[in-house]
Amino acid sequence: MEKLTKIHRICIVLIIFVIVLSLNGCTLNNDTSQNNEIRIAEQYGLAYAPLQIMKNKEILKKRLPQTQIIWKQMGNTAAIREGMISNEVDIGFMAIPPFLIGWDKGMDWKIASGLSSMPIGLITYKDGINSIKDLTTNDRIALPQPGSIQHILLSMASEKAFSDSHKLDNQLVTMAHPDGMNALLAKKDISAHFTSPPYIFKELDNEGFHQVLTGEEAMGKDFTFIIGVATKEFHDMSSETYEAFLDSLHEAIDFINDHPQEAASILAKEYDLPKEEVLRYITADGTKYTSKVKGLEDFTDFMKRNNYISNSFQNLEEVLWEDVNYEK
Amino acid sequence: MLIMKNKFINNKYILRLFWIVILGIIWQVVALSQVFNPTSFPRIETILSSLIHDVTNGDIILQTLYSLSLIFRGVAAALIIAIVLSGLSAISQTFEGFVETLIAIAHPLPGIALLPLIILWIGIGEGAIIFIIIHSVLWPLIINLLTGFKSIPKIYKKIGKNYGLNTIGIIRYILIPAALPYFITGLKIGWARAWRAVISAEMVFGAAGGIGGLGWLIFKKRVFMDTPGLFGGLIVIVFIGILVEDIFFDRLEKITIRKWGMSI
Repeated sequence: MEKLTKIHRICIVLIIFVIVLSLNGCTLNNDTSQNNEIRIAEQYGLAYAPLQIMKNKEILKKRLPQTQIIWKQMGNTAAIREGMISNEVDIGFMAIPPFLIGWDKGMDWKIASGLSSMPIGLITYKDGINSIKDLTTNDRIALPQPGSIQHILLSMASEKAFSDSHKLDNQLVTMAHPDGMNALLAKKDISAHFTSPPYIFKELDNEGFHQVLTGEEAMGKDFTFIIGVATKEFHDMSSETYEAFLDSLHEAIDFINDHPQEAASILAKEYDLPKEEVLRYITADGTKYTSKVKGLEDFTDFMKRNNYISNSFQNLEEVLWEDVNYEK
Repeated sequence: MLIMKNKFINNKYILRLFWIVILGIIWQVVALSQVFNPTSFPRIETILSSLIHDVTNGDIILQTLYSLSLIFRGVAAALIIAIVLSGLSAISQTFEGFVETLIAIAHPLPGIALLPLIILWIGIGEGAIIFIIIHSVLWPLIINLLTGFKSIPKIYKKIGKNYGLNTIGIIRYILIPAALPYFITGLKIGWARAWRAVISAEMVFGAAGGIGGLGWLIFKKRVFMDTPGLFGGLIVIVFIGILVEDIFFDRLEKITIRKWGMSI
């Protein structure tokens, strides 16, 4: 030990000092899951309109004046899921397939409510493409990401068309909806885009752009597009906040359905679109804002059959919190 | 005993293996302690079995080879451009000013920041990925080559002339060997940059060229929440990185600059 030079000793003291200080910082940072906080993650698009109404009309704030409400807008479902694993998000909004993937991998979360059904589908500008059977191996398809509802619906359609759900998997290009729309409008690399409102409407407004496949055709029936998912920790530890959130969500959904005109003018500001356009979108055929959850079993069966997930639920309590409005 | 111990520590490969094992043990202890969610911090045997599964069904090998072929094409193109540009700069000072201006403009731009522009200009195919690789490799390579040429003392050339060498002889026996350490450093930086560029570009562009590369594989693992598989992909990247660093570049240095007495 006597061999330690003065510099060595200074270094050791410095290192210990830094470690102790940083550990101190860790304990401070970990203390984020207080009861008077709710962190909600959403994505961009008209499917999330009730959440914009909730924010704009301060529906949740009125019910929870003492609670700090944190809204996070995230670029894709994987980010929301990772946020919920690391306990940065309490309630996340996403489609059914990404929820099932997380549930299958052991995430402790369940569906709290439905949010919306939307007309989603595959759009192309190419005259020759009228069904997915017309897609050649050179045609590339833009969608948000593998494992997204768009990808699963495309796989469902390709199982029906080619008896091979993975047939188109290596022709996918991962793009957020706005980028995918621009790429399709450029008519260069992307032949088709699997998308949702408002992008699907905007694309179809262009001459020659047509729909190859609808979500309903792929699935064989209509289904819930976006659901709200809550972690077990949040559901159990902050049950009052959870209840208040659900009540607010349902109030916002009812508001859009009862007052579409007023809702459209609020949403026009939020989405930076003309009011008439928003009104047309939110009252379009196939657009439904409802707390009902529909199509869960069909997605589970398909994804299990094609190895996207390895477990399926035996009874609904495994995937739904209490009092969820469920339809088979 | 002391000599043996020194030998053990001096052997680079044994020392590297030793530290990898230590890091592995620390990883496993953290994973077993369950401080972190097992879905985000899997155990080593889970990672390895998922990696073995991916290797045996061949996916990961094909996709790695595809990524490597992209890197190879990108680096080869960057190499040619870099040699031409820095060679011309060595001859003409006006041209050197031009190249330095180009470096000043382009070098600070991250490839990912250029993506939207590249999509507009080149599209989203293989060409775009190769373009990003060239961009990330070219500038460090040119900078190193230019520094290499500049750092050659004039006296070297004079000695060459004294030995009766002509211009080609001076280039062949003096300029190239003298600039080679810089060139190899540039290649090393370029190689590391090319890996990063290809992985991030593949994550954005998806399955370019039919099967997609390692970046696409990792991205798919992420979106399907296959965390052990994701780590498997990272291990492949690290493994190839170590392989190239310890074997390819080491060999290259041994048969060139170390043999010629240019470095220790």
